[in-house]
Parts: sequence; structure tokens; C-alpha cells
Amino acid sequence: LNAAPERAPRQRVRFLPAPAPGGGGAVELLPTRVPVLADHPLVRGPRFRKLKIGVGHRLDVKASGVFVLGIGHGNKLLTDLYNCHLTKVYTVGGLFGKATDDFSDTGNLVEKTTFDHITREKLERILAVIQGTNQKALLMYSNIDMKTQEAYELAVKGLIRPMGKSPPIITAVRCLQFALPEFQLEIHCLHETQQYLRKMVHEVGLELKSSAVCTQVRRIRDGVFTVDDALPRTQWNLQSIQEAIRNCQLKVETELEKTL
Amino acid sequence: RRGLGVAAGPPSTRQLREAEEAAPVFQYAGKAAKRKDRVFVWGFSYSGALGIPSFVRPDAGWKKPRRIQPTPYRLETEEKISSAACGYGFTLLASNTRDITKVWGMGLNKDSQLGFQRSRRDQTKGYEYVLEPSPIPLPLEKPQQTRVLQVSCGRAHSLVLTDSEGVFTMGNNSYGQCGRKVVEDEIYSGSHLIHQLKEFDSRVVQVVCGQDHSLFRTKKGTVYACGWGADGQTGLGHYNITSVPTKLHGDIAGVNIIQVSSYGDCCLAVSDEGDVFGWGNSEYLQLASVTETTQVNVPRHLPFNIGKVKEAACGGTGNVVLTEEGNVFVWGYGILGKGPNLIETAVPEMIPPSLFGWSDFSPDTRVAHVRCGLSQFAALTNKGELFVWGKNLRGCLGTGRKEDQYFPWRVTVPGEVVDVACGVDHMVSMVRSF
Repeated sequence: LNAAPERAPRQRVRFLPAPAPGGGGAVELLPTRVPVLADHPLVRGPRFRKLKIGVGHRLDVKASGVFVLGIGHGNKLLTDLYNCHLTKVYTVGGLFGKATDDFSDTGNLVEKTTFDHITREKLERILAVIQGTNQKALLMYSNIDMKTQEAYELAVKGLIRPMGKSPPIITAVRCLQFALPEFQLEIHCLHETQQYLRKMVHEVGLELKSSAVCTQVRRIRDGVFTVDDALPRTQWNLQSIQEAIRNCQLKVETELEKTL
Repeated sequence: RRGLGVAAGPPSTRQLREAEEAAPVFQYAGKAAKRKDRVFVWGFSYSGALGIPSFVRPDAGWKKPRRIQPTPYRLETEEKISSAACGYGFTLLASNTRDITKVWGMGLNKDSQLGFQRSRRDQTKGYEYVLEPSPIPLPLEKPQQTRVLQVSCGRAHSLVLTDSEGVFTMGNNSYGQCGRKVVEDEIYSGSHLIHQLKEFDSRVVQVVCGQDHSLFRTKKGTVYACGWGADGQTGLGHYNITSVPTKLHGDIAGVNIIQVSSYGDCCLAVSDEGDVFGWGNSEYLQLASVTETTQVNVPRHLPFNIGKVKEAACGGTGNVVLTEEGNVFVWGYGILGKGPNLIETAVPEMIPPSLFGWSDFSPDTRVAHVRCGLSQFAALTNKGELFVWGKNLRGCLGTGRKEDQYFPWRVTVPGEVVDVACGVDHMVSMVRSF
């Protein structure tokens, strides 16, 4: 960043004494544009010494995926994005047959169970129940009076969302892959932590009268930012960052205007 | 020397893996584990209609009686219940078994709508409130062969449909709703009389109780009615009471009716081609699309352009139909399910499917059945979820909240809901466990 061409130094008008044309000795004041010495690079030093980077929604050590950062003045947008309460999408991979103390496959083993009675339909039934109970929580925590007509209209469009603090709520779950003993779910949620998602996998295992651990948590979408916009490790350089910021700016602005 | 006094230290990866493989495997459910069928009840419990005696008479001295059960509560039954019906303060449960006891009843029994329940204190008298599901003795000729197909309950009478022995009726008969001649000053409380009806043109396949009248649908598609007719709900062309089941004509003559429904004083019938016919009370604009009068005593075809109708359900003041595509239409008066602004309409209005769990994620979710209580509606989806809306009278909606519900709301039941029966202030649902 510091190597980038800098702004030209400010100019100001100063009245400098200069020898007058004709007649020796008399000094006239001539207005000239002179660069301000305070703006000189050698005086001022490098433009950027530190950068303020703010972080969006948290991501665990064991999880991976889209991680939103804000730079400099973008940090103000971060709080606005947080207040939008947009849903995040995760792909969660699970394994039947084991139960560990921290719900992931690297923890201490608690129990092993059989899982050959589990079918895809049973799993989808459980997911439908989870969605149902979370739908109720969605409506309850959104603090909208259920008796009004606008509550009905928002419910029809599916736009009711808690706009304040709330416990983790799952708006949609879908089974992507099912190959015993492994399975993969796509979860859309609000206000959650990755440990909550692992606990959810464990509870799905319990409901199916078996046990399950979570092998993978990957965030594929955080509000408006998807995996396509995200920069992998190889692209952490200035050009791609600037390009990514430019691409996302429009999306962020429209989303903020829509919600607030 | 071997270091016997050396501490174990953290287990290495190989030790962890070996310990894991050596761990015992527990089996909680085998491959052939069957899903169990359960019954859940909720609503007003003081009448005994929920069938749980500890709600009315607590078993411990410090416990308080529970007047309202706001969320679904499991009711233990001995047999698998295949059909249930909720009346005005009482419930009937029927099982498809060949055992001698096929029907259980609980709740109000002041008009012997649950048959004669011999009191243990006094052998000559019967119970007026039955707090637990008690078997109803039916006078069957072949009790170990006949199966009970369906039960239905009205305000103070009930009907039991069997597969080979016709229809049994019990309860109040002051308007002839039990299908037998009205006896002046008959005392219904503690009565042993259960009447059997067999004379229909073909086998009866569905029985429906209105508030004080009864409807019978036969295999040939004809409808018979008896009972009170002051609102024209018997559909026989007059406003008098009928004490013998009589065939209905009007617009349904010659039409193959596949479903009949009634709960209050209005009746709806669905034909095999998807047409809807209505008769009875129309004070709440239920039949206002064909007539301005408030009582219709002959079945009339209701010309709605909503598609082929699969199922219809009548409530006290509002009606609901389900079309072949899975759309739900409501009309009438009261809380219809489209927000607080829609109080009454004579023309059916559709409830958006997104309120029943339809979304881009699950585009194949659709409503499979609709049921009506007196001022509540219930809808069952093909995913096994139950949605209710309407007046929350004494907690009958089962949502856990006391307020009325103006749009469809999910009821959390631990299982897949197979069928639901709605009453005035309580509901019974048959659920299969996961």
C-alpha cells in the first residue's frame, strides 16, 4: 500500500519575494504556487503505518469458510451489517456411530452406537421437525405482535426475523448427501456459534436413536458474501483485495438500504 | 528395571485409536424398529375430555388441578387408536382391533353420549364425568369379528360406524339425532340404550355429527340425515326434526359424494368430481355465494372456481376446503387465517402455502388434510406437521400461548401427525413416533 503512488503534495499560494523586472534592488511580491513542505514524503514518512481491521461474525478454530473483515472506514459498515441480522449458510458434515464430549471427531470418545437402522427419510423427518421448532422460535423472538395484519403479511413473505438479541435460530436445513455412516447438511441460521451447530449434529444423532459427531463446519455464505467473493490464501494481495472490495460494495449498500 | 512407578502420561494416538476400537457398541434401536403410534391431547381438561384424571383430581395433595393443557400431552392407550372424535366436552377413541373393547370414551356423560359407565360406588347409577378412557360396551352380534371404522361426536350424542353391523348411536335424542323416535321426557343420563341403524341403501362409509343432527354417507355416494332441522341442516327440504335417517336430494341427487363434513349447523359435501355442495345455516355467509337467505334446507351446489376440491371441513362459523393442488381456501366469519383484517367473506380466499411450511427449500410441502373445530381450523401437511389457527378457546390450539391465532401456526408435536380431531375446547391427535 505504501508503495502505491501517493497523492500529489498540496499546493498553496505564497507570496514570495522575487526580484522585480527592471530596476535593481526593489523587491516585489509575486504570488506563486509552492508545494507545502509539510506534505513532503521525506518529512511525513510512509502514509500507512497501521491498518484498522475489524472482524465480522466469529469463526471457530476448527471451522472454515467465509470470514468477513472490514478495513479502516469499513468497520462502521460492520456494525450496520450486524444489525441487519442476515442469515449465514453452513455445510456441516457429520458421522454416525460415535459420540464425543465436544461433539466433534477429535474429542474424547463417550459412546459408540449402531446406525444401520438410519435411513434418509428418517433423517429428513427429524430435519423437518427441527425446522418447525425453529420457525416458531423465529416468530416468537421477532417481537412482532402476532395480532396485526402486518405480522401476517411478513409471515406470508417469510420476512419475519428477530431484529435484536436472540438465541441461535435455524431458518432452514437440508440434507445434501447421505452415505452411511457419513452425511452432510446445509444449515441456514442466525445468531449461532459453530459449537452450537456441532451440538445440533449430536442432537440429530440422539433423535435417530444413535449418536453422531460433526466432522466439518464450513461457512459458505455470510449475509451477502459468498464463497465466490471470498479470497483464498493465495490471493491475499493488494490487487485482489481492492477488486473484491469494489465488487462487494454495491451489494453491501443495497442490502443495508433494504434493511435499515 | 521396569519403571512401574512411572506415571502414564497422555495417551498416544495409537493408544487412543485402540481404545476407541475396543469400546463397546450400544444398540438403541434395531434395524426393524417399528414406529410407535401415540395419542396426544391438549385443551380444556376439567370436563375430563383429555382423559388424564390427574389433571382434574391430582394424585398428590400438594399438586393443583390443571384446568388447561396448553401444549400436546401424551395419552397412554392400550391399543393403537385408528380414529378419534371430539365432541362438546367429551372424546371418543376407537381402535381397529378385533378384541371385545373397541371404543373408549372420556369426558361429559350427562346424556349417556359415552354409553353407560357403571359407577363403582353405586352399581345402579352411571358416571356423569368420565375422567379416563373407559371402554364403551357396544351391543355387537359378533364382537370378535366386527371392526369399528370411525367414530363421530356432536354436542350431546355420538355415532360409531362398524364395518358389518351398521351404525350405533347413543346420547341425547331430543331432536331425533340418534336416529330413533323421540320419546317425550326421556331421561338420557344413565341410560343403557344404544340404538343400531342398518337400513341404508348400501354400506355406510362415513358418519358425521353436527351439533344436534347426524349425517350418514353410503358407499353409493348418497347422504342420509336425521336430527334437528331448524336451520335446514338436515337438508330434507323442511325445518322440522327428523327421527329416522332420510335420504337427501336437492343438488346432490344422483351425485357420487365422497366426503361429508359438519360440526355446527352448516354442512358441506364434496363430490368425486371436485364440486362442493352446502346446506344448513348460512347466517355467517357460509352459503351466501348462492343465496341471501340465512337458512338453506336443500343441498345447493356452491359454484366456486378454485379447482377440484379434495376435502372440506365445516366449523361453527367458518368453512375450509382443500383442493387437489394442495391449496387451502377459507370463507365464512371469524378468524379465518389471513390476518386480523379478514373477519368475514362469502367467497373463498386462499391461504398462501408459504404459511404451511412451503418454501424454496421444500417445494413439495403441501397440505394433506384439513379439519375444523367450532372456531378453530387445523391443517396437516404431507411432512407430518400440524398447523392450527382460530380462536384459542381455553388453550385448545395447543400452541402454548393464550392468544387467538390469526394465521396458521405450527404445533410442536414429538412425532409425525397422522390425524387430528378438533372439538370446541380441546383437540386430539394421532401421532407416529420417529
